Amino acid sequence: MKIRVVKEKCAGHARCWAQSPEIYDLDDEGYILDGDIDVPEGQERAAWLGAKSCPERALVIEDYKKDSAA
Amino acid sequence: MSTVPDHVPAELVKDFSYFTGPGMCPMRGGDPQGALAALHDGPPVFYAPNNTYDGYGTWVFVRAEDQRRVLQDAETFSSHRKIFEKALGYDLPTIPLEVDPPEHGAYRSLLNPLLSPKRVMAMEAANRARAVELIEGIKARGNDCEVMNEFAFPFAVGVFLEFLGLPQSRREEFLGWADKQFHGTPEERGEAIRTVIAFMQELVDLRRREPAEDFMTFVVQAKVDGREMTDKEAVGMGALLFVAGLDTVAAAIGFDFRYLAENPEQQEKLRAEPQGVVLAVEELLRAFPTVIMTRIASRDTEYDGIKIKAGDRISCPSMVANRDPQEFPDPNTIDLARPNNRHVAFAYGPHRCLGSHLARRELAIAMEEWLKRIPTFRLKDGVAPTTYGGHVFGIEDVRLAWGAAGR
Repeated sequence: MKIRVVKEKCAGHARCWAQSPEIYDLDDEGYILDGDIDVPEGQERAAWLGAKSCPERALVIEDYKKDSAA
Repeated sequence: MSTVPDHVPAELVKDFSYFTGPGMCPMRGGDPQGALAALHDGPPVFYAPNNTYDGYGTWVFVRAEDQRRVLQDAETFSSHRKIFEKALGYDLPTIPLEVDPPEHGAYRSLLNPLLSPKRVMAMEAANRARAVELIEGIKARGNDCEVMNEFAFPFAVGVFLEFLGLPQSRREEFLGWADKQFHGTPEERGEAIRTVIAFMQELVDLRRREPAEDFMTFVVQAKVDGREMTDKEAVGMGALLFVAGLDTVAAAIGFDFRYLAENPEQQEKLRAEPQGVVLAVEELLRAFPTVIMTRIASRDTEYDGIKIKAGDRISCPSMVANRDPQEFPDPNTIDLARPNNRHVAFAYGPHRCLGSHLARRELAIAMEEWLKRIPTFRLKDGVAPTTYGGHVFGIEDVRLAWGAAGR
């Protein structure tokens, strides 16, 4: 599973970080770090929830297998 | 001003205003946010010919998805709307709100670190102590209170003074300005704006002369695009903090506490599980946001076939997007544990509320400490607060009582 980060859409709501700080890291301004995220096995659910919390739709979920979200 | 421009087709004109009509006028027991939810039964975009305090028409964007598109496109939909021009007789843009990208980015990058989620954590203890002191004072006075005057405004102003590095002894003075600016007659508002601007100019002068460890010193010593910060820019930044950080937070506390007073079972739930407060604050921000985002078309454009001309005002009411059934299942039900709550109380796009992380913590601290210290509370004598619509929705006289009836 991968999270594609659309950096230019990030407006610094920091909801992804509030939801799943183990997956999403912020820069000093409080915006998402640039670069896509390879989600470690076992953390798919946290990554999914964090991506879904973005008001700007700046986090795109890729290669997500539903059964791994348990 | 309130005539309909030629490019607006008659079928998109709607008799609507944030200032008149059901729920919008000041009224006891009103529900201005809920009153606008019915807009989702109508067209997604319409034109309201008389929809500002000074009589301008605006387009109104109803759906969350459309508001997101508008607010993310700061190039087409400018945020420079000359908020202070009328009161001052000249334009003094509040910064960064009234500066568009790309210039906007430099100001934001400068200020973002001061209000980032991690930085806000460092302010937590002082802000919590402030809330506790106010609540303990209220408790010592008796079994009732008026939330706005005794808690919400003093708390929000206290946090603001702390952030600005000003002594708390100035609280009463700031409260007076805030009251006039947000709730006064048009003349009083103008006067309050001029007073705040003059104050910020004095503060700029002082911090250029005598630097300290505070916000304004940081601002006047900062460089934008490699050059010195001008007085006008520094004043515009200070003024925005005042305009954006006081009334909004106070009103949110008022709406939150009214909701809890009317729903004692939710109070009990949160008292038993205080870790639920953070999510509850988000849901109440979704249900009762107060801000309407306004943009001005910077050029002629078309939005889903609708012609919009340069200079047209575009209004994105957060409280309407937050009740969009396509965005939020069962939007008119308040579920304090609502998951995936991507509300727009702090706007979308590059102008996302700079103070959102601080505001969130202020609201959570207020609720946590209040529930911890005040037993089950209710609206005093069952009298509901007065609410109103307008450019910023509000609530007045939130009178609460607890235990044996009040003073």
